[in-house]
Amino acid sequence: MSIDFAINSPVFLRYLLIVGGLLLFAGVVLGSLRLAGRNVASPLRTYRGWLIMIPIVLGTLFLGREATILGVTLLAAVGFKEFARATGLYEDWWMTGIVYLAIFALGAVSLVPDPRLGSPGWYGFFMASPVFVIALILLVPIVRNRSRGELQKVALAILGFIYFGWMFMHLGFLANTGNAYGYLLFLVFAVEINDVAAFTFGRMFGKRKLRERISPNKTLAGSVGAIAISLVLPWLLWFSFPHFSPALLVLTGLIVGVGGQLGDLVISYIKRDIGIKDMGATIHGHGGILDRVDSMIFVAPIFFHMVRWFNGAG
Amino acid sequence: MDTWKYHPSPGIDTPVSESLRGFPREPGMLAYAIRSVAALLLRAWMRTYHRLHIEGRENLPAKGSYVLVCNHTSHLDTLCLLSSVPLRSIHNCFPAAAADYFFSSVPRSAVSAVLINALPFDRKAKGARSLALCSALLKTEGNILILFPEGTRTTTGAMGRFRSGIGRLAAGSDLDILPCHLEGGLRAWPKGKLLPRPRRLHLRIGQAKNYRHLDRSPESVKAVCADLEERVARLGGGAE
Repeated sequence: MSIDFAINSPVFLRYLLIVGGLLLFAGVVLGSLRLAGRNVASPLRTYRGWLIMIPIVLGTLFLGREATILGVTLLAAVGFKEFARATGLYEDWWMTGIVYLAIFALGAVSLVPDPRLGSPGWYGFFMASPVFVIALILLVPIVRNRSRGELQKVALAILGFIYFGWMFMHLGFLANTGNAYGYLLFLVFAVEINDVAAFTFGRMFGKRKLRERISPNKTLAGSVGAIAISLVLPWLLWFSFPHFSPALLVLTGLIVGVGGQLGDLVISYIKRDIGIKDMGATIHGHGGILDRVDSMIFVAPIFFHMVRWFNGAG
Repeated sequence: MDTWKYHPSPGIDTPVSESLRGFPREPGMLAYAIRSVAALLLRAWMRTYHRLHIEGRENLPAKGSYVLVCNHTSHLDTLCLLSSVPLRSIHNCFPAAAADYFFSSVPRSAVSAVLINALPFDRKAKGARSLALCSALLKTEGNILILFPEGTRTTTGAMGRFRSGIGRLAAGSDLDILPCHLEGGLRAWPKGKLLPRPRRLHLRIGQAKNYRHLDRSPESVKAVCADLEERVARLGGGAE
């Protein structure tokens, strides 16, 4: 994964064309709706958010392995910050600081070569990191000689690291694989399309609620529609991973379709339990960073291990 | 089993651009780290490039809240005063900065909020709201407010009249006010110049004075202003 590779990669070029085409299409549709006198203020805000986010994401991937891992690390750190601010863990600088440090250490572990095998990314340490980080977090109350309310802080810090740090950062570790551009571009694209499809199908056909006590806006129709779209996408974008067998394409579609929506629902019940609407206000028209990347958190690690299981480290 | 109680940060729905302008500011680890590094660099720059000499540092109270009141000749004034307080107080030291200038855009707000830790001061409407913000701030032990009662930088070198704000803040309140005088600011960085020049700076910190024995009448306010104006001028040996 590097600039040279990206310039000569037909995969990168194709995604550039697809995403550019879709953005243009959406822009034309929104523009004509607006000319027709419809109120499109809210989708237009979301659209502007995309116009800023997509070049940043594509630009980071274009710059190669190091930029991608750094980008994912920063996203994980900001995502954890939003979680910490939402739950109130942010007031505890020890806990927050240790999770920040652990997230950046995980970024470094993804970057350095394996000391024994020499392959990019220290896989063994990456996968074993929860042992050390959980141990470290559990030590904090002992070092500070405190007990009151510490269980809640420890639990939140561990969840914050494992879920928003470790699980999400499998996405960055994918940059170490031989087919990194295909995997990463497909995942980011497919997960976002899955989100959009769930929303659109829900709007058009949605009647029965999917999980009304968690997220009243999600419907069964939206969910089924999104899974259907996600099952089709790997076939259309087969060029991203030409070595995949048809069975793997089905599996990939399921991981994106089901995993994406699970990630969404997890953030939904976290928000609902806390009693907030959005995790933050970082991206105009989209809420916080977590409201945008939530679907990726389930998909990234499961897809990563699927690839590794069927295709080895390459 | 009882459910957990969460305490979300109050500014969770506020966009970054707005939260930079907001005050009081939510303490953030990243901002503290950047500010600490910036404070160290600032001190090094002040000592070497401007040969900043600080006189009367022993007058700074060891604890409690206080106000530093200084003549205003350039942006260097704020930076000098920031370099004179103890390093551990850097996150509790708030220079009052004109909101219409220092918080006019997002990049400016970011510098003012993160590096300078400025308090956005509304110069219009006589600053009643901003003054209330200042007195609330000073109720917390260990907070330091930096104020330039002239309200704007001088272009001639002559000290302007002190505006009533400092008088309204100090008269009848149990607040230590320290007069300060900076010499050389005008030569080092005159208003309108892009970058400062390597000129010597000399900061004098006077003795604290408390005006709690006064009432809050307009006469007392005027008296406080006149008294502080005279103290600052005297520290500078008349005029600069």
